[in-house]
Amino acid sequence: MYSDYAFSLEQLWKIAGGQLVLLLAALLIICADLFLMQKSDDTKKASVIGWLTVAVIMAALLHVINREWQLTEVVFMGVFSMEKYSAFIVITILMAGILATLFGIGYIRNNKVCRSEYFILLLFALYGAIAMVQSVDLLMMFIALEIMSVAVYVLAAFLKKDRRSQEAAIKYFLLGCFGSAFFLFGTALLYGLTGTVNLSFIAKVLSVGMFERPEVLVALAMIMAGLFFKMAIVPFHMWTPDVYEGSPAVVTGFMATVIKAGAFGAFLKIITVTFSPALAYSGQPVFHSVLNLASLGVYWKAVIAASALLTMFIGNLVAVSQKNVKRMLAYSSIAHAGYMLLGILAANDEGRMGVLYYLFSYTLMNLGAFGVLYLIDGTERNAQTLEDYQGLGYKYPVHSFLMALFLISMAGLPPTAGFISKFYVFLSVIKEGYFVLAALGILTSAIGSYYYLRVIYMLYMKEPVREIECGRMTLSSAVALIFAAIGVLYLGILPEWLAQVAQAAQSTLAFVF
Amino acid sequence: MDMSVTINHYVVLSSILFGLGIIGFVTRRNAIILFMSVELMLNSVNLMLVAFSRYRADMAGQAMVLFIYAVAAAEVAVGLAILISLFKHVRTVDINSFSLLSDN
Repeated sequence: MYSDYAFSLEQLWKIAGGQLVLLLAALLIICADLFLMQKSDDTKKASVIGWLTVAVIMAALLHVINREWQLTEVVFMGVFSMEKYSAFIVITILMAGILATLFGIGYIRNNKVCRSEYFILLLFALYGAIAMVQSVDLLMMFIALEIMSVAVYVLAAFLKKDRRSQEAAIKYFLLGCFGSAFFLFGTALLYGLTGTVNLSFIAKVLSVGMFERPEVLVALAMIMAGLFFKMAIVPFHMWTPDVYEGSPAVVTGFMATVIKAGAFGAFLKIITVTFSPALAYSGQPVFHSVLNLASLGVYWKAVIAASALLTMFIGNLVAVSQKNVKRMLAYSSIAHAGYMLLGILAANDEGRMGVLYYLFSYTLMNLGAFGVLYLIDGTERNAQTLEDYQGLGYKYPVHSFLMALFLISMAGLPPTAGFISKFYVFLSVIKEGYFVLAALGILTSAIGSYYYLRVIYMLYMKEPVREIECGRMTLSSAVALIFAAIGVLYLGILPEWLAQVAQAAQSTLAFVF
Repeated sequence: MDMSVTINHYVVLSSILFGLGIIGFVTRRNAIILFMSVELMLNSVNLMLVAFSRYRADMAGQAMVLFIYAVAAAEVAVGLAILISLFKHVRTVDINSFSLLSDN
């Protein structure tokens, strides 16, 4: 069937144009960097490259929205597919990329690190994340995962003089490689069992009576473990708090959103296309006769339910005891992954829609929060503890207001995007009959709001302990923060539009097969 | 008794190697040895892919091995660079001493 996809440049541009733009631009910017940055330690030139990067990602984003989103069917090009589902996550990832680049321009100025590698590595990481979501082939998925990860390992080590940054990078590197080895082992097993690594061909072979063989379950478990490492799901989350705390704040925001979006996108695709009962009633007539993978759900749903519950509880409970706001946000992002997992567990239309909606709004609020965090910080690790946040509300009203807004959204309080996202995922699991799980999830969300609101309490109701000098709000950061803040409020007050878009996106997933 | 080597032998062997990699990664404390354990895990997968490729008379498996080599090489290049840059700060490769970041 591979021969159906004869190579054509036009076809490649049609479905993977966004990737091509990023890849070529990254290579060109390396050359531009060589000439521009020759002997300068001047932050101006770094920010020129930063704005260039913004323009490039914007071009890729426009291409995806104008061309790839408009595709009316699933289009394949060997290992990649493009349909609305992939397009939605690609748009989310590119949006995160633009925000992270804008924050990066300001961060480089505030911290006096005159390195434009940040932007180049960011482009490669974005490329990897997008390729991962678009691929319909486990090997390509692995390679894309590694392209993304290797770029982010270097980004984590970005502050060369800071021991914490190096420590975070080595921890992330070791556990990241360990995790992807599991993914690869699962891939190899599936290749041996089915003779292919293409997601839908695997499903076809498995459906002919071999889907309950223990080897298949081992392979599925291995692939899940590998992706759970990247998604920071308990019990594969040990690296997350250390890495998020040690990495530069802008990189942490990038990691917490782009890698999660990429890994969640790939995971949902694998589960739905290869291992899911959902295909059996997707509406395409072929599935009824050929496929019945429903009984596999018994195995992976139990695992996902347990991990989601653990993730929500551990993420939220440990966050309560954190003194460092950055580390607290790391635990909170673990908890958010747990909520998103609920949508995958439900495995119905609402659940998948909820995951997409959650990913989009999580990207806005999490990057927004890290964007304010680096501004309050001034230079890295200048003011990160709860004590430092005391009484900032009056001295820095804009920083504090934005921080409060993003934290309220993360706590899941109306009228913000966080509330609506949690609402959708909980609704989807209740519809599938997981009442206890939903109740416990809402309980953890209540625990969560304690530590989010505590930061706001510190900002506005306490007297300052020491003099804090916040970083300067640069134009780029201001643009990004305003965009994120408006997005968070808009999605909280008028969710229908994005919900419809997400609904349309998830409905195409069934046709990737 | 038939003593020929079957596909099962290869799968068992590579699973054992993969398991040794995991054990090494979990028990050893030297960052370089952790690297080597991860490499062992990747290479056990390579062995399995080549065996499956031969078993199914499909060259795709062997092509995958080449990709995995490239990925492993990139990983090591970046990993060693990060380790050296951390070594300049801490003067050791014992992962127990990388404890500036931890819950306490």
